[in-house]
Amino acid sequence: MTLVALLLTPACAAAAPDFASDVRPIFEAHCFKCHGPIKQKSGYRLDVRAIALTGGESGTPNILPGRGATSPLVKFIAGEVEDMKMPPEGEPLAPAEIATIRAWIDAGAPWPEAASAAVADPLDWWSLQPLATVTPPASAGNPLDGFIRTQLAARGLAPSPPADARTLCRRLHFDLTGLPPTPEDIAAFVADSAPDAYARLVEKLLASPRYGERWARHWLDVVHYGDTHGYDKDKLRPNAWPYRDYVVRAFNTDKPYARFVQEQIAGDVLFPSTADGIEALGFISAGPWDFIGHAEVPESKTDGKIARHLDRDDMVANTIGTFSSLTVHCAQCHNHKFDPIPQEDYYSLQAVFSALDRTDREYYRDDARNARFQNLRREQRDTSAALAALEAPLRAQAGEAYAEITRRLERPPQSDPANPGKPSPSRGYHSALSSTPDAMKWVQVDLGESVEINRATLLPAHDDFNGIGAGFGFPVRFKVEASDDPAFQTGVKLLWQRYDQTFMADFPNPGLTPFATGGGTGDGIIGRYVRVTVTKLAPRKDDYMFALAELRVTDRAGKNIALGRPVTAFDSIESAPRWSRTHLTDGVAPSALSADEKQELERARDALLLGVSDEPTKQRRAQLLAESTRIAAELKTFPKPDLVYAGAIHTGSSNFKGTGTEGGRPRPIHVLARGQVTTPGKPVGPGTLSALTFSPARFALSPDAGEGERRAALAHWLTDPKNPLTWRSIVNRVWQYHFGRGLVDTPNDFGRNGAAPTHPELLDWLAADFRDSGGSLKSLHRRIVTSDTYRQAITANSAAEKIDSGNTLLWRQNRRKLEAEALRDAILAVSGKLDLTMGGPGWQDFVIERPEHSPHFRYDLANPDDPATWRRSIYRFVARSQTQPWMTSMDCADPSMRVDKRNESLSPLQALAMLNNGFIVTQAQHLAARVQSEHPHTLAAQVARAHALALGRPPDAAALAPLVRFAEAEGLPALGRLLLNLNEFTFVD
Amino acid sequence: MMAHDSPFHRAAASRPISRREFLWQSGGGLGGLALAAMLGHDRALAADTPAPASRPLHHPAKAKRVVQFFMAGAASHLDLFDYKPELIKRHGQPSDFGEPVEAFQNGLGPWLRPLWDFQPYGQSGKMLSEVVAPLGGVVDDLAFVHNMVGKSGVHSAATLLQSTGFQLPGFPGAGCWVSYGLGSLNENLPTFVVLPDHRGFASNGVKNWDAAFLPSQHSGTIIFPGTDAPVADLFPHAAGKFVTPDGEAAAHRLMADINRQHAATREGDQRLDARIRSYELAARMQLAAPEALNLKAEPAHVLKLYGLDGGPQTWPKEISADEEAFHFSQKCLAARRLLERGVRFVQIWSGNDNSFPRRNWDSHEDVKRDHGPLALGMARGAAAFIQDLKQRGLLEDTLILWTTEFGRMPSSQGGKGRDHNPFVFTNWLCGGGIKGGVTHGESDLWGYKPLDRTRPTTVYDIHATILHKLGLDHTRLTFRHNGIDRRLTDVHGHVIKSLIA
Repeated sequence: MTLVALLLTPACAAAAPDFASDVRPIFEAHCFKCHGPIKQKSGYRLDVRAIALTGGESGTPNILPGRGATSPLVKFIAGEVEDMKMPPEGEPLAPAEIATIRAWIDAGAPWPEAASAAVADPLDWWSLQPLATVTPPASAGNPLDGFIRTQLAARGLAPSPPADARTLCRRLHFDLTGLPPTPEDIAAFVADSAPDAYARLVEKLLASPRYGERWARHWLDVVHYGDTHGYDKDKLRPNAWPYRDYVVRAFNTDKPYARFVQEQIAGDVLFPSTADGIEALGFISAGPWDFIGHAEVPESKTDGKIARHLDRDDMVANTIGTFSSLTVHCAQCHNHKFDPIPQEDYYSLQAVFSALDRTDREYYRDDARNARFQNLRREQRDTSAALAALEAPLRAQAGEAYAEITRRLERPPQSDPANPGKPSPSRGYHSALSSTPDAMKWVQVDLGESVEINRATLLPAHDDFNGIGAGFGFPVRFKVEASDDPAFQTGVKLLWQRYDQTFMADFPNPGLTPFATGGGTGDGIIGRYVRVTVTKLAPRKDDYMFALAELRVTDRAGKNIALGRPVTAFDSIESAPRWSRTHLTDGVAPSALSADEKQELERARDALLLGVSDEPTKQRRAQLLAESTRIAAELKTFPKPDLVYAGAIHTGSSNFKGTGTEGGRPRPIHVLARGQVTTPGKPVGPGTLSALTFSPARFALSPDAGEGERRAALAHWLTDPKNPLTWRSIVNRVWQYHFGRGLVDTPNDFGRNGAAPTHPELLDWLAADFRDSGGSLKSLHRRIVTSDTYRQAITANSAAEKIDSGNTLLWRQNRRKLEAEALRDAILAVSGKLDLTMGGPGWQDFVIERPEHSPHFRYDLANPDDPATWRRSIYRFVARSQTQPWMTSMDCADPSMRVDKRNESLSPLQALAMLNNGFIVTQAQHLAARVQSEHPHTLAAQVARAHALALGRPPDAAALAPLVRFAEAEGLPALGRLLLNLNEFTFVD
Repeated sequence: MMAHDSPFHRAAASRPISRREFLWQSGGGLGGLALAAMLGHDRALAADTPAPASRPLHHPAKAKRVVQFFMAGAASHLDLFDYKPELIKRHGQPSDFGEPVEAFQNGLGPWLRPLWDFQPYGQSGKMLSEVVAPLGGVVDDLAFVHNMVGKSGVHSAATLLQSTGFQLPGFPGAGCWVSYGLGSLNENLPTFVVLPDHRGFASNGVKNWDAAFLPSQHSGTIIFPGTDAPVADLFPHAAGKFVTPDGEAAAHRLMADINRQHAATREGDQRLDARIRSYELAARMQLAAPEALNLKAEPAHVLKLYGLDGGPQTWPKEISADEEAFHFSQKCLAARRLLERGVRFVQIWSGNDNSFPRRNWDSHEDVKRDHGPLALGMARGAAAFIQDLKQRGLLEDTLILWTTEFGRMPSSQGGKGRDHNPFVFTNWLCGGGIKGGVTHGESDLWGYKPLDRTRPTTVYDIHATILHKLGLDHTRLTFRHNGIDRRLTDVHGHVIKSLIA
């Protein structure tokens, strides 16, 4: 006790404890487990002097030299701070140990530099260095081979001989186009002895539209493209495909890579007049989206904040993962554990995208029209803003008279038939409220007897609630039916529907314009009951419902036979005197102002404004109005715009408002400690990674700069010639798809957790060459596939195996297992059924059940032999929540994940899918029919032809005999199925 | 046999039941038998030759296999397992949580008492709702966790969190991790089987159980017991009439020959041999799966135990406890047969997507209407399952987890329903070295939040505990993906010592 007391009194301390012999052992014993060389919780470590003295991520020093008693470290180990007792588990420090540390701090915390662990400079990492200027090793031919041979020689290895012509032809076709060569293609190439035969084949394939289709699929893996939202209620994205087509086109036209990157981040800002600039923004929205988290939960609630935070997280991870090959998303909760990415960098990237949501964007595929359209839209925005600014003070001056006219314009007259001239309180029928738009509800009228119905007319209601006004509660998707069965179980006749997902668009709010079903033909529909069934409700505030002022049913004489008839409904709010079932047929409905009335009121209102305006204001206003009329008139001449699902400013209502209502102002972004949206920290502006020092990490933008400028700044940063990550990342990806393995084996991670480059100089040389020659991907392919390295045979070499069993040095080519798409497309090509139609909405090989709620994608109910599905796999409609089972068993990319490298598995379930799936057994029959029609006479010729089609070579006599015997016994379809299941079909040498 | 009559083909959905019964009762049809003979594997149902586990355990295991019951839509802890007398006392009074509450919808009506009466069961005297009374018979084997907390009140994110440990899609299901960590006990069957609700998938669909970045063989294999084609692609599609049982054997022989010749000239590529082997295993799975799923092979007393001893069933249009019990029990019995034969992880779902009419636990409108039949059906099946495992000695090394995505509020929504409660809900565990008859962690007076808000239980703790019983350290079962050594438990999780027997 005395000793402790002594030590606790600094004045009496004899000599300051020595760090190395007294203090560090205590840290080692009690603290290093979490704050030492292996782990650094909260970024704090007690083995490195600089960090120990300055504090961890929080930046608050734990050691205050000379002030032991007040140093947080001492308080923590002494257990004086609730929730921060250190160590949190296990034995606390002995009093003597605490005293030692306190005395050491009192003495100024002397810590010799030699006793501090060295921390590697976090920026000292290969991928963050500028591209090196590399001179290729001297050798004739393709410089790429020089790099490879140098490293092979250093390990005592030599390249393999070139592959034979047939092998090469098949390899190149699959690599560049994802399709097998025909037997004729192979024969022609094998027979072509000209020295440039191979080069010509390369050019032919690079020029083929099939090339873009093949390589776009690789890109879509990386950006995790899908045609549905994913998550709960996996709704369709009917307008996602223009982005997919854009990518195909970009590859086929060899769009310079920098431009390709810029368009995907900020095409609308940098190339506003082009369709490409808009469609490319499908990159930002490519990944999954939490529909419920946005549509049912407002941004003001915690769950809504989480959903939007995670949505931006996906945009940021997708951007930096795709273009920079870094795992920036690891800095969401804390500074990156391995790479020099502080949390603030991550959130500054979130700030780049914080104005955006995922939504449909209007544009025109025709560039000229699109340019004009986007211009007009901009002018329209500017003009209305100017007009609003000009009028605001005038309106205030015009006062109550102005407000009254406005109210009259906006609120329709509704007279009570019982008391003509008096307004009626009756609003109509109003369903009960629902928490989701997808609840099914109905309301129906009993006409009293079965009658011939000419048409039904739905009159929209009007209510000021939530400022909705005209068309209040008008259903978004609905159908109108008649039946003699009040339960609508039997004898149901459809009058009209826009009911399910098969209709691409919702019914737009009609205002007060009545909606009438078709009718008037001779064969009227007969029924006693008329029912309106709603499958998508109208938004109200934070909920959904539907309402109608009146339902009229007219007979052939035009008489309203529903008037005053009884009404039943699935539910009703029954809120008299405004809303009641009976109001649906009470003859009371708001009528829209007639054009004349409207004009009259507007003229009166204008006069009020002009009365308080001076002459220059009048003139300015007239100018703006004329301008506005001219723009509106021209916009009217445009056809219905095209739509692409993209990153965009969303202007919505109810819970999913977006930033459009706020003028597209970016949402404020804060650093979130532990990623918790409930504890926002320091606000951050737009920026990017600080680990690259070629330009400032925070964008120098004025505070009132539009959100687009943030994205433009990021696009410029990404494509800066000095940004080493961008150029290394793309050449490495391309290399991987040609060799089955990247020069860096982790294409999405060039950080410390990723793989090191096997050929760093080659990587830099390729990257710099690619960058400096205009970013042409076709040139890069050419460079790679014409190399000796690419053209090597796949040899067995046990000596080389021993030295480099993984073939990382490329002493041979790698045998490739066809990916799901290539496999499927190859089967169609071989069967003769491949349909090469390009582009457009994805083909679907499923039946959608219950589309009004959570679509169920029933692949098992689809016709496996539907010709619509014989197109290339790139055009498949990709659903996220239920991925295509056959494709999935073939290791197809999961559209919910950013896939830099496909898995490659072999399992009995995969074998069963290859043997038994409806696609296989039907295509096997098509293959049989094809060879039968091509060689009608001999089975042997048919078998040989099928063999050549499938495997790219005719069978030799020894191989042919058992195949023919099998075909004789089991038939040609069975033989076709067998060929498609062979290892040689699935593996490409 | 006429080709078009061949039981070998996958029956179309509209085929009569007799065909299906013939197929499944004959153990996979003639084709499978022919294949087995051809392959020379009389022991094709090779549960007797377990494959070695793919990786060494971290410590000795108590459990070998796992069953996860998942109630999709969010089952109410308050009406089933977590007895709150205060709610009975204060029923109908305005709810007061003592703090502002953010409800998912508008579920902050008056306090709502449990919809059923509770009474004590077993030695432990655990209070259970009468709607889960069948579980009373096994209650002393169950360990309850009443202080589970989630992270979100949104179904999709919350369901993913419970099924994969992450709120975003793109992470492997718990069963995938177990498959990856422990490997197969019987190569002729999948290691991870999913038995969805017979009406369809829950929130997120296959994202709850697919392998994500793990190799695809660890994905959950979907099985619909008692249907025409319980396993996709197990037999040729109905459009492939040309495939005959004899022809199939010949095809396998010829393919193997050709593939071997192909491999012989391509030394050093093990994938070529592995693919040949995968076709052999496929043929064996054609025998093993129908045999495993042939519930009719069970003796009468077992069928009776599960309530599956009745004749053909037809059901009313409205949801009913009998229908729920039939389907849930059928899945439980199939699960037991699969587990016996070496399947590692079976996930059994109750409830489909959260749509209308409610065939899910998302009882915003009327707890009694939806929870009544669903809970009673689940309880009958689960109780029979536990008794069955117990009488076979399988409960000792089979760990059962009952879970859901979150709980429901103690206040009412629209009078009869309850809103989402991600702040507290209930799990229970059973078997596999779990201590029965205990409760770990209580909820507060109302069942609104954990009693001790500083020490809630999370899914990470549950997963860590399950992995622990399987002999795996949750911090060491990792897979590197996009730069991160991913774990089922992310960077969280503590083994719950008090649950361990």
